[in-house]
Amino acid sequence: MGAISGQGIVVGILATGIRLAAPFLFASLGEMFSQRSGVFNLGLEGIMMMGAFAGFMTSLGAGSPWLGVLAAIGVGAALGLLMAFISVTMQAEQGISGIGLHMFCWGLSGLLFRVYLGFITSCKGFSPWHIPVLSHIPVLGPILFQHNWMVYFSLLLVPVSWFVLYRTTWGLKVRAVGTTPQAADTLGVNVNAIRCQCVVLGGAMAGLAGAFLTVGQANMYADNITAGRGFIAVALVYFGRWSPMGILLGSLLFSMMNALQLWVQVLGISFPYEFAVIMPYVMTIAALAVAVRRVWAPTALGKPFRREAG
Amino acid sequence: MRKYRVVIVVILAFAMLIAAGSGPIYSAPAKKIRVAMLMASTIDDMAWSQSMYEGLKAVQKELGADKLEFVTSERMGNPVDAGAAIRQYADQGFDIIIAHGAQYQSVLMELAPDFPKTTFAYGTGFTAAPNIFAYDPQAQEGAYLMGMIAALMSKSGIVGIVGPVESGDAIKYNYGFQQGVAAANPNVKVRIAYTGSFGDIVGAGELAKVHMDAKADILTGSAQQAVGAARAVAERSGVYWMSTDMDQASLAPDHVLAAQVYHWEKVVKAIIDYRAQGILGGKHLTLSFSDGALELRYNPKLVSKIPKNVLDLVEKAKQGIISGALKVELPKKK
Repeated sequence: MGAISGQGIVVGILATGIRLAAPFLFASLGEMFSQRSGVFNLGLEGIMMMGAFAGFMTSLGAGSPWLGVLAAIGVGAALGLLMAFISVTMQAEQGISGIGLHMFCWGLSGLLFRVYLGFITSCKGFSPWHIPVLSHIPVLGPILFQHNWMVYFSLLLVPVSWFVLYRTTWGLKVRAVGTTPQAADTLGVNVNAIRCQCVVLGGAMAGLAGAFLTVGQANMYADNITAGRGFIAVALVYFGRWSPMGILLGSLLFSMMNALQLWVQVLGISFPYEFAVIMPYVMTIAALAVAVRRVWAPTALGKPFRREAG
Repeated sequence: MRKYRVVIVVILAFAMLIAAGSGPIYSAPAKKIRVAMLMASTIDDMAWSQSMYEGLKAVQKELGADKLEFVTSERMGNPVDAGAAIRQYADQGFDIIIAHGAQYQSVLMELAPDFPKTTFAYGTGFTAAPNIFAYDPQAQEGAYLMGMIAALMSKSGIVGIVGPVESGDAIKYNYGFQQGVAAANPNVKVRIAYTGSFGDIVGAGELAKVHMDAKADILTGSAQQAVGAARAVAERSGVYWMSTDMDQASLAPDHVLAAQVYHWEKVVKAIIDYRAQGILGGKHLTLSFSDGALELRYNPKLVSKIPKNVLDLVEKAKQGIISGALKVELPKKK
């Protein structure tokens, strides 16, 4: 009665892990562009929260999770613009402005939720879309091809981000302003404009990550829904060494470990749950400590660009 | 990064002080009972905090807004913030300060002697002090009854618990649920897993999905994050949810079978009455079926799905709990 095969368990763990990785992929890939251009945005958690709220409210009000996603991207981009204005245009200290932005968003999302709704309810979300043919492949099908479209999209963004970063002129400019802004400036690249674009992109993707939580995963909203995921996304950018592939690996490692610990607990494998819960974090830190031989970071990360400072 | 870290820590500390200091300032007329409530989540969490908030509202409605005034402080998850807010409420002359969570016990024990005329209350807990009430829902009682329903209704023979953190109320709830299942059908398996958080609704939803993927067909769980699990259950057919603290049927009308509802108004009224008699604390207040502070509520939409004999068995057990003939055990203290 109710038995589940060993293969079923492995498939379950991997499929859960892929799904859990999606919000990290969205947020971390966006933050990667931001950091590549020289701006780290610790406000990611707050932007995700606002994106989650906007996605939820729009889906609830308009009855369409698609509009919710668009609203979340818009709100995320607007908050990214705010961050860009503070940290790029006004050249404020990035760490502090990011934390400030996070607190602002946390307060604002809670306030707006109270004002406009004030009770917990559910909204329309995306159902899994089983890709024809592919979803029927044994083992691989349920792991990879039975998710909602946002999960596929998050995976698709990995090669897209790689292409944009390494194979387009804009990507070249992003990398240039993040490592040698003075030189880029000399060559006629508008450093601050590129940085603003990247921070806005990062904000939009954080908004998308937030929308995933509400219309792609939980189909509801509650205070502090992100529960630290935005900060993990920032950490995953460092873990991934500012590269899309690295971020994919980091997100998958973290999420797979999380899926594994959930399954270990659910199957009643005797194991202290406290340790199970911290396992993804411990593994990620351990992998980071062991794997990093070449310490590389965008050299201008965190430094505002001043032309005369050259 | 290192230099930023110091700056960030300083700013955070500062922000906490500001947040803690932003409580409302009141100068209410005398005789009115003034109650302040602090909680880790929010008054609309549809679980632990909201249930107490509703209780306060009910008492206010009964006594009249001119007799009872109450204010709340939300998002007081951090005991340091909470301590500052509690001190401020006490300074402002609030009569009763309810710190709604087990985590506030030590901060109350520390603060209460400085305000001997103020009544403090917290829970889940059982350690009282001269001006501290400890309140203690007997979560295991309703859990036992819902465990019985789960065991008798499960088709897969597996029921799942989405736990928050292995502590306080959750331990009692889970332990009672397991006993109820074992009493009704020892062949049914109870699987317990924890998210490690109280408020992560997304995490609770994911844990519920894993439970269901692993063939559990009736799920339950406590703490405010449980609404996320209830919602995840509502996405699938043929599975049911049992809610505690509050009736969560409005979230998943076709999936919440039954709920254990806390009637906090009884506790609030007891505290007010004791205070009127000059008793400011020192008591361990329980919420149980026998004193009417716990209620087992079926979802009217789904109650017809529960066979009559199951309802009868549960009712009999409930009467047993009330009369004391049926004892739901608590975990032995380590």
